[in-house]
Amino acid sequence: MLPVERIIGEEGLSATPRGARLAMRLPWYRSLPFSTVEVAGVTLDGAPVDLADAIVEFDDTSFPLSDIGEQTNAFWFVRDSAFLVLPGVNLAANSEHEVSLLLHVNPPYIPGMKRVNPQTATLRVN
Amino acid sequence: MTVANGPQMGVTLYSFTNEWLTRQFELDTLLREVAKRNLGPNIEIIGFQSFKEFPDISDDFASYFKDLIAETGLNPVSCAINSDRFLKPGQQPIDDASLVEYHKRQLRSAKKLGFKLARSQFALPAHLLPELAPFCEDIGMQMGVEVHAPMWARHPAVLEYREMYEKLNSPMLGWIPDFGGTARAIPPSLLDAARAIGTPEALIEITKEIWAEDGPSYVKAGKLREIAAAKGYEQAHLQACTLSFFILSNNDPKSWAELVDRTIHIHGKFYGVSDEGVEEAIPYEEILPLFRDGGFTGTIVSEWEGHAYCTTDAFEQVRRHQAMCRRILAEAPVAA
Repeated sequence: MLPVERIIGEEGLSATPRGARLAMRLPWYRSLPFSTVEVAGVTLDGAPVDLADAIVEFDDTSFPLSDIGEQTNAFWFVRDSAFLVLPGVNLAANSEHEVSLLLHVNPPYIPGMKRVNPQTATLRVN
Repeated sequence: MTVANGPQMGVTLYSFTNEWLTRQFELDTLLREVAKRNLGPNIEIIGFQSFKEFPDISDDFASYFKDLIAETGLNPVSCAINSDRFLKPGQQPIDDASLVEYHKRQLRSAKKLGFKLARSQFALPAHLLPELAPFCEDIGMQMGVEVHAPMWARHPAVLEYREMYEKLNSPMLGWIPDFGGTARAIPPSLLDAARAIGTPEALIEITKEIWAEDGPSYVKAGKLREIAAAKGYEQAHLQACTLSFFILSNNDPKSWAELVDRTIHIHGKFYGVSDEGVEEAIPYEEILPLFRDGGFTGTIVSEWEGHAYCTTDAFEQVRRHQAMCRRILAEAPVAA
Protein backbone atom coordinates (compact mmCIF):
# COMPACT_ATOMS: atom_id res chain seq x y z
CA MET A 1 0.00 0.00 0.00
CA LEU A 2 1.35 3.43 -0.95
CA PRO A 3 1.50 6.17 1.69
CA VAL A 4 -1.20 8.08 -0.20
CA GLU A 5 -3.53 5.08 0.00
CA ARG A 6 -3.38 4.68 3.76
CA ILE A 7 -6.63 5.60 5.53
CA ILE A 8 -6.37 3.85 8.91
CA GLY A 9 -4.21 6.15 11.01
CA GLU A 10 -1.09 5.32 13.00
CA GLU A 11 -2.95 6.03 16.26
CA GLY A 12 -5.22 3.05 15.56
CA LEU A 13 -8.27 2.16 17.62
CA SER A 14 -8.91 3.27 21.17
CA ALA A 15 -11.64 2.98 23.77
CA THR A 16 -12.94 6.24 25.23
CA PRO A 17 -15.86 7.16 27.50
CA ARG A 18 -17.53 8.54 24.35
CA GLY A 19 -17.22 5.25 22.47
CA ALA A 20 -14.66 3.61 20.20
CA ARG A 21 -12.30 6.06 18.46
CA LEU A 22 -10.66 5.24 15.12
CA ALA A 23 -7.76 7.19 13.61
CA MET A 24 -8.20 8.07 9.92
CA ARG A 25 -5.64 9.42 7.44
CA LEU A 26 -6.55 11.51 4.42
CA PRO A 27 -5.72 9.56 1.22
CA TRP A 28 -4.53 12.51 -0.85
CA TYR A 29 -1.31 14.46 -1.26
CA ARG A 30 -2.67 17.68 0.27
CA SER A 31 -5.05 18.91 2.93
CA LEU A 32 -8.69 19.11 1.90
CA PRO A 33 -11.86 20.68 3.29
CA PHE A 34 -13.74 18.00 5.23
CA SER A 35 -16.75 18.67 2.99
CA THR A 36 -14.99 16.88 0.13
CA VAL A 37 -14.45 13.67 2.12
CA GLU A 38 -17.05 10.95 2.69
CA VAL A 39 -16.78 8.30 5.39
CA ALA A 40 -18.61 5.69 3.36
CA GLY A 41 -18.49 2.79 5.78
CA VAL A 42 -16.94 1.12 8.81
CA THR A 43 -17.12 -2.54 9.74
CA LEU A 44 -15.96 -4.04 13.02
CA ASP A 45 -15.20 -7.77 12.99
CA GLY A 46 -17.18 -8.03 9.78
CA ALA A 47 -20.32 -6.25 11.02
CA PRO A 48 -21.29 -2.83 9.61
CA VAL A 49 -21.25 -0.04 12.21
CA ASP A 50 -24.18 2.37 12.29
CA LEU A 51 -22.63 5.80 11.61
CA ALA A 52 -25.80 7.84 12.26
CA ASP A 53 -24.46 9.26 15.55
CA ALA A 54 -20.74 9.17 14.70
CA ILE A 55 -18.60 12.20 15.50
CA VAL A 56 -15.51 13.49 13.69
CA GLU A 57 -12.76 14.92 15.90
CA PHE A 58 -9.82 16.91 14.57
CA ASP A 59 -7.51 18.85 16.87
CA ASP A 60 -9.75 20.78 19.26
CA THR A 61 -12.86 20.68 17.11
CA SER A 62 -15.54 18.10 16.54
CA PHE A 63 -18.70 17.83 14.49
CA PRO A 64 -21.32 15.18 13.71
CA LEU A 65 -20.32 13.00 10.77
CA SER A 66 -23.75 13.77 9.32
CA ASP A 67 -22.57 17.42 8.97
CA ILE A 68 -19.29 16.66 7.21
CA GLY A 69 -20.67 17.83 3.88
CA GLU A 70 -21.12 21.34 5.33
CA GLN A 71 -17.52 21.64 6.58
CA THR A 72 -16.25 23.71 3.66
CA ASN A 73 -13.98 25.87 5.81
CA ALA A 74 -12.54 23.17 8.08
CA PHE A 75 -9.36 21.69 6.63
CA TRP A 76 -8.03 18.20 7.27
CA PHE A 77 -4.26 18.67 7.41
CA VAL A 78 -2.82 15.87 5.32
CA ARG A 79 -0.15 14.96 7.87
CA ASP A 80 -2.58 14.52 10.76
CA SER A 81 -5.13 11.91 11.66
CA ALA A 82 -8.77 12.83 12.14
CA PHE A 83 -10.72 10.60 14.50
CA LEU A 84 -14.06 8.91 14.08
CA VAL A 85 -15.85 8.46 17.40
CA LEU A 86 -18.49 5.74 17.45
CA PRO A 87 -20.90 6.29 20.37
CA GLY A 88 -22.34 3.07 21.73
CA VAL A 89 -19.42 0.97 20.47
CA ASN A 90 -17.65 -0.20 23.62
CA LEU A 91 -14.45 -2.14 23.20
CA ALA A 92 -12.42 -3.93 25.87
CA ALA A 93 -8.90 -2.66 26.42
CA ASN A 94 -6.29 -4.74 24.57
CA SER A 95 -8.92 -6.65 22.60
CA GLU A 96 -8.17 -7.22 18.91
CA HIS A 97 -10.54 -6.35 16.11
CA GLU A 98 -10.64 -6.45 12.35
CA VAL A 99 -11.56 -2.96 11.20
CA SER A 100 -12.54 -2.01 7.66
CA LEU A 101 -12.84 1.62 6.65
CA LEU A 102 -14.01 3.10 3.36
CA LEU A 103 -13.29 6.74 2.51
CA HIS A 104 -14.18 8.63 -0.62
CA VAL A 105 -12.27 11.74 -1.63
CA ASN A 106 -13.65 14.27 -4.12
CA PRO A 107 -10.77 16.66 -4.97
CA PRO A 108 -12.40 20.12 -5.10
CA TYR A 109 -10.50 21.31 -8.17
CA ILE A 110 -11.22 18.21 -10.31
CA PRO A 111 -14.97 18.16 -11.00
CA GLY A 112 -16.48 14.69 -11.09
CA MET A 113 -13.46 12.84 -9.72
CA LYS A 114 -14.14 10.49 -6.82
CA ARG A 115 -11.33 8.40 -5.39
CA VAL A 116 -12.48 5.29 -3.53
CA ASN A 117 -10.19 4.13 -0.73
CA PRO A 118 -10.76 0.91 1.25
CA GLN A 119 -8.49 -0.46 3.97
CA THR A 120 -8.81 -3.34 6.41
CA ALA A 121 -6.51 -3.87 9.38
CA THR A 122 -6.40 -5.87 12.57
CA LEU A 123 -6.06 -3.43 15.44
CA ARG A 124 -5.52 -3.84 19.17
CA VAL A 125 -7.54 -1.44 21.32
CA ASN A 126 -5.26 1.06 23.06
CA MET B 1 27.34 27.26 -21.34
CA THR B 2 24.67 28.33 -18.91
CA VAL B 3 24.30 32.09 -18.80
CA ALA B 4 24.03 33.61 -15.36
CA ASN B 5 20.46 34.78 -15.92
CA GLY B 6 19.22 31.63 -17.67
CA PRO B 7 16.78 29.15 -16.11
CA GLN B 8 17.51 28.36 -12.45
CA MET B 9 16.98 25.00 -10.79
CA GLY B 10 15.08 24.12 -7.64
CA VAL B 11 12.73 21.55 -6.19
CA THR B 12 9.13 21.29 -5.09
CA LEU B 13 8.57 19.56 -1.76
CA TYR B 14 5.77 17.69 -3.59
CA SER B 15 8.56 15.39 -4.80
CA PHE B 16 8.87 14.17 -1.21
CA THR B 17 5.18 13.36 -0.74
CA ASN B 18 5.91 9.79 0.40
CA GLU B 19 8.44 10.92 2.99
CA TRP B 20 6.04 13.64 4.15
CA LEU B 21 2.92 11.48 4.45
CA THR B 22 4.80 8.80 6.37
CA ARG B 23 6.03 11.46 8.83
CA GLN B 24 9.71 10.75 8.15
CA PHE B 25 10.28 14.51 8.15
CA GLU B 26 8.78 17.59 9.74
CA LEU B 27 8.75 20.81 7.74
CA ASP B 28 11.99 22.01 9.37
CA THR B 29 13.85 18.73 8.96
CA LEU B 30 12.69 18.37 5.36
CA LEU B 31 13.90 21.87 4.45
CA ARG B 32 17.23 21.17 6.17
CA GLU B 33 17.56 17.91 4.23
CA VAL B 34 16.88 19.69 0.92
CA ALA B 35 19.49 22.32 1.77
CA LYS B 36 22.03 19.75 2.98
CA ARG B 37 21.72 17.81 -0.26
CA ASN B 38 22.03 21.01 -2.34
CA LEU B 39 18.69 20.43 -4.05
CA GLY B 40 17.72 24.11 -3.76
CA PRO B 41 18.19 26.86 -3.22
CA ASN B 42 14.94 27.55 -5.04
CA ILE B 43 11.90 25.79 -3.65
CA GLU B 44 8.20 25.42 -4.28
CA ILE B 45 5.80 24.41 -1.53
CA ILE B 46 2.15 23.43 -1.85
CA GLY B 47 0.41 25.55 0.78
CA PHE B 48 -2.18 22.90 1.48
CA GLN B 49 0.44 20.16 1.77
CA SER B 50 3.07 21.62 4.06
CA PHE B 51 1.41 24.41 6.07
CA LYS B 52 -1.16 23.32 8.63
CA GLU B 53 -2.56 26.84 8.98
CA PHE B 54 -3.22 27.23 5.25
CA PRO B 55 -5.14 29.02 3.75
CA ASP B 56 -4.63 31.57 6.57
CA ILE B 57 -1.10 32.02 7.94
CA SER B 58 -0.51 33.60 11.35
CA ASP B 59 2.21 36.13 12.07
CA ASP B 60 3.89 33.65 14.38
CA PHE B 61 4.09 30.91 11.75
CA ALA B 62 5.27 33.33 9.07
CA SER B 63 8.03 34.46 11.39
CA TYR B 64 9.00 30.85 12.17
CA PHE B 65 9.08 29.99 8.47
CA LYS B 66 11.18 33.01 7.54
CA ASP B 67 13.68 32.09 10.25
CA LEU B 68 13.84 28.58 8.81
CA ILE B 69 14.43 29.97 5.34
CA ALA B 70 17.19 32.24 6.62
CA GLU B 71 18.83 29.35 8.46
CA THR B 72 18.76 26.97 5.48
CA GLY B 73 19.61 29.55 2.82
CA LEU B 74 16.71 28.34 0.68
CA ASN B 75 14.78 30.68 -1.62
CA PRO B 76 10.97 30.41 -1.41
CA VAL B 77 10.07 31.02 -5.04
CA SER B 78 6.66 29.46 -5.54
CA CYS B 79 3.71 28.64 -3.32
CA ALA B 80 1.19 26.34 -4.97
CA ILE B 81 -2.34 27.46 -4.17
CA ASN B 82 -5.50 25.58 -5.07
CA SER B 83 -8.53 26.68 -7.06
CA ASP B 84 -11.01 24.71 -4.95
CA ARG B 85 -14.24 25.55 -6.73
CA PHE B 86 -16.13 22.34 -6.02
CA LEU B 87 -16.36 22.29 -2.24
CA LYS B 88 -19.57 20.27 -2.13
CA PRO B 89 -19.37 17.10 -4.22
CA GLY B 90 -22.23 16.68 -6.64
CA GLN B 91 -23.48 20.21 -6.07
CA GLN B 92 -22.96 23.52 -7.84
CA PRO B 93 -19.51 25.12 -7.64
CA ILE B 94 -19.06 27.94 -5.13
CA ASP B 95 -20.00 31.39 -6.40
CA ASP B 96 -17.48 33.62 -8.17
CA ALA B 97 -17.08 36.08 -5.29
CA SER B 98 -16.27 33.26 -2.86
CA LEU B 99 -13.78 31.73 -5.28
CA VAL B 100 -12.01 35.07 -5.77
CA GLU B 101 -11.83 35.57 -1.99
CA TYR B 102 -10.51 32.01 -1.56
CA HIS B 103 -7.66 32.87 -3.95
CA LYS B 104 -6.96 36.17 -2.18
CA ARG B 105 -6.69 34.39 1.19
CA GLN B 106 -4.07 32.05 -0.22
CA LEU B 107 -2.21 34.78 -2.11
CA ARG B 108 -2.00 36.92 1.04
CA SER B 109 -0.61 33.94 2.97
CA ALA B 110 1.91 33.11 0.25
CA LYS B 111 3.08 36.72 0.25
CA LYS B 112 3.31 36.76 4.03
CA LEU B 113 5.56 33.68 3.92
CA GLY B 114 7.89 35.43 1.49
CA PHE B 115 7.07 33.57 -1.74
CA LYS B 116 7.52 35.46 -4.99
CA LEU B 117 4.78 33.81 -7.02
CA ALA B 118 1.80 31.51 -6.69
CA ARG B 119 0.66 28.56 -8.75
CA SER B 120 -3.10 28.48 -9.53
CA GLN B 121 -5.28 26.02 -11.44
CA PHE B 122 -7.70 26.04 -14.36
CA ALA B 123 -10.62 25.44 -11.97
CA LEU B 124 -10.36 29.25 -11.65
CA PRO B 125 -12.40 30.43 -14.67
CA ALA B 126 -10.65 32.90 -16.97
CA HIS B 127 -13.43 35.47 -16.51
CA LEU B 128 -12.32 35.98 -12.89
CA LEU B 129 -8.77 36.97 -13.84
CA PRO B 130 -9.68 40.68 -14.24
CA GLU B 131 -10.59 40.67 -10.52
CA LEU B 132 -7.40 38.99 -9.40
CA ALA B 133 -4.88 40.81 -11.62
CA PRO B 134 -5.16 44.16 -9.74
CA PHE B 135 -4.99 42.33 -6.40
CA CYS B 136 -1.78 40.60 -7.48
CA GLU B 137 -0.40 43.96 -8.60
CA ASP B 138 -1.34 45.56 -5.26
CA ILE B 139 0.40 42.94 -3.15
CA GLY B 140 3.28 42.39 -5.59
CA MET B 141 2.71 38.72 -6.22
CA GLN B 142 2.71 36.94 -9.57
CA MET B 143 0.14 34.20 -10.20
CA GLY B 144 0.59 31.52 -12.86
CA VAL B 145 -1.88 28.89 -13.93
CA GLU B 146 -0.41 25.41 -14.12
CA VAL B 147 -0.69 23.92 -17.61
CA HIS B 148 -0.97 20.31 -16.48
CA ALA B 149 -2.03 17.22 -18.43
CA PRO B 150 -4.43 16.91 -20.16
CA MET B 151 -3.91 20.63 -20.83
CA TRP B 152 -1.31 21.80 -23.32
CA ALA B 153 -0.62 24.93 -25.34
CA ARG B 154 -3.55 24.43 -27.73
CA HIS B 155 -6.12 23.05 -25.28
CA PRO B 156 -9.36 25.12 -25.41
CA ALA B 157 -9.00 26.15 -21.74
CA VAL B 158 -5.46 27.37 -22.40
CA LEU B 159 -6.60 29.32 -25.46
CA GLU B 160 -9.35 30.98 -23.39
CA TYR B 161 -6.81 31.98 -20.74
CA ARG B 162 -4.43 33.14 -23.42
CA GLU B 163 -7.02 35.49 -24.85
CA MET B 164 -7.65 36.95 -21.38
CA TYR B 165 -3.93 37.26 -20.67
CA GLU B 166 -3.47 39.22 -23.89
CA LYS B 167 -6.39 41.47 -23.05
CA LEU B 168 -5.20 42.20 -19.49
CA ASN B 169 -1.51 42.20 -20.43
CA SER B 170 -0.54 42.10 -16.74
CA PRO B 171 3.03 41.15 -15.85
CA MET B 172 1.58 39.54 -12.72
CA LEU B 173 -0.18 36.76 -14.65
CA GLY B 174 1.39 33.94 -16.62
CA TRP B 175 1.90 30.25 -17.30
CA ILE B 176 3.44 27.48 -15.26
CA PRO B 177 4.08 24.63 -17.71
CA ASP B 178 4.04 21.09 -16.33
CA PHE B 179 5.78 18.83 -18.80
CA GLY B 180 3.50 15.85 -18.11
CA GLY B 181 1.21 17.13 -20.88
CA THR B 182 3.85 16.34 -23.51
CA ALA B 183 5.15 12.89 -22.62
CA ARG B 184 6.50 10.50 -25.23
CA ALA B 185 5.24 7.39 -23.43
CA ILE B 186 3.76 6.05 -20.23
CA PRO B 187 6.64 5.82 -17.73
CA PRO B 188 7.96 2.23 -17.71
CA SER B 189 8.20 2.56 -13.91
CA LEU B 190 4.42 3.15 -13.77
CA LEU B 191 3.79 0.03 -15.82
CA ASP B 192 6.22 -1.94 -13.64
CA ALA B 193 4.24 -0.82 -10.58
CA ALA B 194 1.07 -2.11 -12.27
CA ARG B 195 2.80 -5.43 -13.01
CA ALA B 196 3.95 -5.65 -9.40
CA ILE B 197 0.32 -5.82 -8.23
CA GLY B 198 -0.45 -8.54 -10.77
CA THR B 199 -1.86 -6.55 -13.69
CA PRO B 200 -1.99 -8.87 -16.73
CA GLU B 201 0.40 -8.02 -19.57
CA ALA B 202 -2.52 -7.96 -22.01
CA LEU B 203 -4.16 -5.10 -20.10
CA ILE B 204 -0.86 -3.21 -20.02
CA GLU B 205 -0.50 -3.61 -23.79
CA ILE B 206 -4.04 -2.31 -24.38
CA THR B 207 -3.30 0.65 -22.10
CA LYS B 208 -0.16 1.54 -24.03
CA GLU B 209 -1.99 1.36 -27.36
CA ILE B 210 -4.91 3.54 -26.26
CA TRP B 211 -2.66 6.06 -24.47
CA ALA B 212 -0.70 6.63 -27.67
CA GLU B 213 -3.84 7.43 -29.69
CA ASP B 214 -4.98 10.98 -30.45
CA GLY B 215 -7.84 12.47 -28.48
CA PRO B 216 -8.81 13.76 -25.04
CA SER B 217 -7.53 11.81 -22.03
CA TYR B 218 -10.95 11.27 -20.50
CA VAL B 219 -12.21 9.71 -23.73
CA LYS B 220 -9.23 7.38 -23.88
CA ALA B 221 -9.61 6.46 -20.20
CA GLY B 222 -13.29 5.71 -20.84
CA LYS B 223 -12.36 3.47 -23.74
CA LEU B 224 -9.94 1.54 -21.56
CA ARG B 225 -12.60 1.14 -18.84
CA GLU B 226 -15.09 -0.27 -21.37
CA ILE B 227 -12.62 -2.79 -22.70
CA ALA B 228 -11.54 -3.77 -19.20
CA ALA B 229 -15.16 -4.26 -18.11
CA ALA B 230 -15.93 -6.36 -21.19
CA LYS B 231 -12.91 -8.56 -20.57
CA GLY B 232 -13.44 -8.79 -16.81
CA TYR B 233 -10.18 -7.23 -15.61
CA GLU B 234 -9.90 -6.47 -11.89
CA GLN B 235 -10.67 -2.95 -10.70
CA ALA B 236 -7.31 -2.56 -8.94
CA HIS B 237 -5.45 -3.47 -12.14
CA LEU B 238 -7.57 -1.11 -14.20
CA GLN B 239 -6.99 1.71 -11.69
CA ALA B 240 -3.22 1.17 -11.87
CA CYS B 241 -3.40 1.58 -15.66
CA THR B 242 -5.87 4.48 -15.89
CA LEU B 243 -3.61 6.60 -13.66
CA SER B 244 -1.48 7.17 -16.77
CA PHE B 245 -4.35 9.01 -18.49
CA PHE B 246 -4.73 11.54 -15.68
CA ILE B 247 -1.12 12.48 -15.00
CA LEU B 248 0.29 12.35 -18.53
CA SER B 249 -0.71 13.00 -22.12
CA ASN B 250 1.04 12.77 -25.45
CA ASN B 251 0.79 16.27 -26.93
CA ASP B 252 3.54 17.82 -29.07
CA PRO B 253 6.57 18.82 -26.91
CA LYS B 254 7.44 21.63 -29.35
CA SER B 255 4.10 23.29 -28.61
CA TRP B 256 5.54 24.74 -25.37
CA ALA B 257 7.28 27.31 -27.58
CA GLU B 258 3.92 29.09 -27.86
CA LEU B 259 3.85 29.74 -24.10
CA VAL B 260 7.45 30.72 -23.41
CA ASP B 261 6.91 34.48 -23.46
CA ARG B 262 4.45 34.46 -20.54
CA THR B 263 5.99 31.57 -18.61
CA ILE B 264 6.83 32.68 -15.06
CA HIS B 265 7.85 29.35 -13.52
CA ILE B 266 8.15 25.70 -14.56
CA HIS B 267 7.21 22.37 -13.04
CA GLY B 268 9.90 19.97 -14.19
CA LYS B 269 7.63 16.96 -13.96
CA PHE B 270 9.42 13.62 -14.19
CA TYR B 271 9.08 9.97 -13.27
CA GLY B 272 12.51 8.36 -13.39
CA VAL B 273 15.95 9.50 -14.53
CA SER B 274 18.20 6.63 -15.62
CA ASP B 275 21.82 6.02 -14.68
CA GLU B 276 22.65 7.61 -18.04
CA GLY B 277 20.79 10.79 -17.08
CA VAL B 278 17.70 10.43 -19.27
CA GLU B 279 14.10 10.86 -18.10
CA GLU B 280 12.07 7.80 -19.00
CA ALA B 281 8.84 9.43 -20.22
CA ILE B 282 9.26 13.14 -20.93
CA PRO B 283 11.58 14.38 -23.73
CA TYR B 284 13.61 16.98 -21.84
CA GLU B 285 16.12 17.16 -24.69
CA GLU B 286 13.35 18.58 -26.89
CA ILE B 287 11.58 20.72 -24.31
CA LEU B 288 14.24 22.52 -22.26
CA PRO B 289 16.00 24.20 -25.22
CA LEU B 290 12.71 25.91 -26.09
CA PHE B 291 12.77 27.73 -22.75
CA ARG B 292 16.57 28.15 -22.62
CA ASP B 293 16.70 29.71 -26.06
CA GLY B 294 13.37 31.51 -25.66
CA GLY B 295 14.69 33.71 -22.87
CA PHE B 296 13.07 32.10 -19.83
CA THR B 297 14.99 33.18 -16.72
CA GLY B 298 12.76 31.84 -13.96
CA THR B 299 12.98 28.64 -11.95
CA ILE B 300 12.48 25.04 -13.00
CA VAL B 301 11.51 23.02 -9.93
CA SER B 302 12.14 19.29 -10.08
CA GLU B 303 8.81 17.60 -9.55
CA TRP B 304 9.12 13.84 -9.10
CA GLU B 305 5.68 12.23 -9.32
CA GLY B 306 6.68 8.58 -9.20
CA HIS B 307 5.38 8.66 -5.63
CA ALA B 308 1.89 8.25 -7.12
CA TYR B 309 2.74 4.60 -7.74
CA CYS B 310 6.07 3.69 -6.12
CA THR B 311 8.35 4.42 -3.16
CA THR B 312 11.70 4.94 -4.89
CA ASP B 313 14.15 7.32 -3.14
CA ALA B 314 12.85 10.75 -4.11
CA PHE B 315 16.01 12.60 -3.06
CA GLU B 316 18.17 10.57 -5.45
CA GLN B 317 15.66 11.05 -8.26
CA VAL B 318 15.65 14.82 -7.76
CA ARG B 319 19.45 14.88 -7.76
CA ARG B 320 19.53 13.03 -11.07
CA HIS B 321 16.84 15.26 -12.57
CA GLN B 322 18.67 18.46 -11.68
CA ALA B 323 21.92 17.09 -13.12
CA MET B 324 20.08 16.19 -16.33
CA CYS B 325 18.48 19.62 -16.62
CA ARG B 326 21.77 21.42 -15.97
CA ARG B 327 23.45 19.31 -18.65
CA ILE B 328 20.80 20.20 -21.22
CA LEU B 329 20.68 23.87 -20.23
CA ALA B 330 24.47 24.10 -20.58
CA GLU B 331 24.40 22.90 -24.18
CA ALA B 332 24.84 25.43 -26.96
CA PRO B 333 21.66 27.15 -28.15
CA VAL B 334 19.98 25.60 -31.15
CA ALA B 335 20.61 27.73 -34.20
CA ALA B 336 17.47 29.41 -35.51
